[in-house]
Amino acid sequence: MDVNVPDARLMPDTLAPPAAFSGRGRRFAWTLLLLAVAFGAVPAAIVGTGSSYLAQIAITTMIFVILSASLNHVTGTAGLLSIGHAAFYGIGAYAAALLSTRLGLPFIVTLPAAGLIAALFGFLVALPTMRLVSIYFAVATLGIGEMIYVILLNWIDLTRGPMGIRGIPPIGLLGWQADTLLSRYLAVAVIAVACVWVLHRLTHSYYGNALRALREDDQCADSMGINVERLKIESFVVATFFAGVAGALLAHTSAYIAPDNFRFMESILILAMVVVGGLGSLPGAVVGALFMIVLPEALRDIGDYRMIAVGATMFLSILLLPKGMLAEGTALGFVRRSFSRGWATIAGGTPVGWK
Amino acid sequence: MVFDVFFLQQVINGLSIGCVYALMAIGFTLIFGVLNVVNFAHGEVYTIGAFVGLMVITALAPPLLAVVPLVLAVGAASGVGLERIAFRPFRRFTDEASQKSRAMREATLLSSLAVSIVAREIMMHIFGGDMQGIPSGYLLQQPVAIGPIMVASGSLVIFATSAVMLGALQFLLYRTQTGLGIRAVSNNQLGARYVGINTDRTIVTTFAVGSMLGATAGILVGLYDGAISPHMGFAPGVKAFVAMVMGGLSSIPGAVACALLLGVSESIATEFLSSGWKDLITYSLLVITLVFFPQGLFGHGRERA
Repeated sequence: MDVNVPDARLMPDTLAPPAAFSGRGRRFAWTLLLLAVAFGAVPAAIVGTGSSYLAQIAITTMIFVILSASLNHVTGTAGLLSIGHAAFYGIGAYAAALLSTRLGLPFIVTLPAAGLIAALFGFLVALPTMRLVSIYFAVATLGIGEMIYVILLNWIDLTRGPMGIRGIPPIGLLGWQADTLLSRYLAVAVIAVACVWVLHRLTHSYYGNALRALREDDQCADSMGINVERLKIESFVVATFFAGVAGALLAHTSAYIAPDNFRFMESILILAMVVVGGLGSLPGAVVGALFMIVLPEALRDIGDYRMIAVGATMFLSILLLPKGMLAEGTALGFVRRSFSRGWATIAGGTPVGWK
Repeated sequence: MVFDVFFLQQVINGLSIGCVYALMAIGFTLIFGVLNVVNFAHGEVYTIGAFVGLMVITALAPPLLAVVPLVLAVGAASGVGLERIAFRPFRRFTDEASQKSRAMREATLLSSLAVSIVAREIMMHIFGGDMQGIPSGYLLQQPVAIGPIMVASGSLVIFATSAVMLGALQFLLYRTQTGLGIRAVSNNQLGARYVGINTDRTIVTTFAVGSMLGATAGILVGLYDGAISPHMGFAPGVKAFVAMVMGGLSSIPGAVACALLLGVSESIATEFLSSGWKDLITYSLLVITLVFFPQGLFGHGRERA
C-alpha cells in the first residue's frame, strides 16, 4: 500500500481530531484543571475543614497514585503481570528510613536514593526473570516479593524486624521542614504529579507504542526490530524506581514503617487499582487509586462491613466494567486529544501516532 | 548413622505438612488445568473446611469419621458456589480469542480474589479474627511410637487421608467418564466442546473435586494444629500455589512431589534456621526452579500465551 494514500479505515472516527481542534488550548485547560484539583481544591478542603484525617487520606491517595501508575506502566502498558510490587515499595521505604535515621541524610538525598535502590533491586530481579512468560513471570514476582518481605521481617539487625522503624524525619528541603499536614500533603502532591507526568511522557509516546506492541505479541515485536528484552527490563526498572519513590514518601510522611505495610495483600491492592481503573490506561490507574483508597474511607460509617463492601465493589466493577473505569482505548484517545501535542501527520494531513 | 532420630522425625513432620500442601495444590492444578486461571479463593475453601468442621464438632460432637464426609460435602458445595459467582460470569465468551485474552484472564483472577476477600471478611465477622481452639477430644496430637520415632497421630491421619484421596482422585481421573471429561477439557477446552463434552458441567465438577480436597486439608490441619482462624488459608494457599508452579502448572504428580519437597525442606530448615526464615526456603526454591526450569520441574512445554 502506498504510504501517501492513508487508509481511512485505520482511523476510526472516535480517534480523529474534532473539527475545531485547538490542541494547545485544550491541553492548557485540562492541565490547569488537574493542577487546580491537586494544589487548589484539596489543600483548600484540608485547610477549610482543618481535618487531619482528610489530609492523611489525601497523602495516602497520592502515594498510591504513584504506585498504581507505576504498576500500570509495567503491567498495563508492557503487559508483565507483577504481583510483587509492594516489595519494591517496601525497599524504597526502608532505604529512605535507614538512610535518614542511621546516616542522617536529608530528604533531598533519601528520596532519589530510595528510588535508585529499589530500581537496582528491580534490575537484579528483572535480569533472570525476563525470560519467563505470562503466569510464570507473575509467580516469580510473587515469590520475590514474599522473599523481600521475609527478609524485612527477619533481618532484625538492619530492619528491626516486626517492630519497624520509628522516628523517621519528615520531608524537608534546605532547612525547611514539612511539619504541618498541609505542607506534607503539598510536598507529596508535587512529587506525585511529577512522577505521573514522567510516566505520562513515557507511556504516551512512540516508546509507549513499542511497549504496547511487545505486550500484544512479544515475538512479533521482536521480529519487527523492537529490542524486547531491553524494553521489558527498562519498564520493570522504571516501575520499581517509582515504587521506591512512593516508599520514601510513605516513610517520611508517616514517620513509622513496618514490614506489614508491604505484604502480598498490598501488591494485590495496587493491582486491583490498576485493573479497576483499566489495564494499560494511565488516567485509569490514577482514578483506580482514588477509588480504592477513598471508597473504604467513605464506607467507614458501616464500620465492620466495609471490607466486605470493598471486596463486593471490586467484584462488581470487574464484572460490569471488565475493561476498567477508563478503558485503554478511550484513555489513549483522551490523552492524545487533551494532553499530548496532538498528532503527527503523514502526507495528506492524516493524523497518526504521537507528536 | 547419619540420620538421627530427631532428623527422621522432622522429615515425617515435613511429609505430613507436605501432604496438606499437596491436597491443596491438586485443587489448584485441577482448576488451573480446566480454566487456565489461578483460583485465588482456594485458601478460603480450606478455611471454610476447617470452620465447618469446628462447627459440626462443637454442635453435634460426632465421631471423627463422620466429620470428614460432611466437610467433603461442604467443600464441594463451596467449590460449586465459587465457580458460579466468581468464574462463570467471566466465561460469557467462549471463542478462542477471548479465552486467550489477557484482560479476561486477569479479570477472572481478580474476581476470585475479590470473592475471597468477601468470604474471609464474612468469616471474620461470624467467628472473629482470633484463633479458635478445637475441642481437645478431637485433637490429633497424641504421640504414637513407631520403633524409636515418636509421631503425632495427626501425621498418620494426614498420611492415610491423603493416600485415600489421592487414590480416589486417580480412579476418578483415569477410570471414569467424568475424569476423561476433566482431562479432555484441561487438554483443550474448545476441542472438548467440539466433541460434545459439556464443558460447563465439567468445570463445575472440577471445582467441586478440587474444593473437596482443599476443605479436607483445612479440617485436617485444624485438628492437627488445634487452632484455626479466618486467616489460616493464606500461607498454605501460597505454598500450594508455589508447589503447583514448581510442578509445572498442569502436572498433578509434579505438584504432589513438589508439595512434599516443600514440606520436608521447610521442616528440615527449622532445624538450622529460626522459624521466621523458613518461608525464605520455599520462595528461593520457587525462584530457582523458575529461573533454571522455566516450565517447572515436571512440566512439559506449553503453548506460549
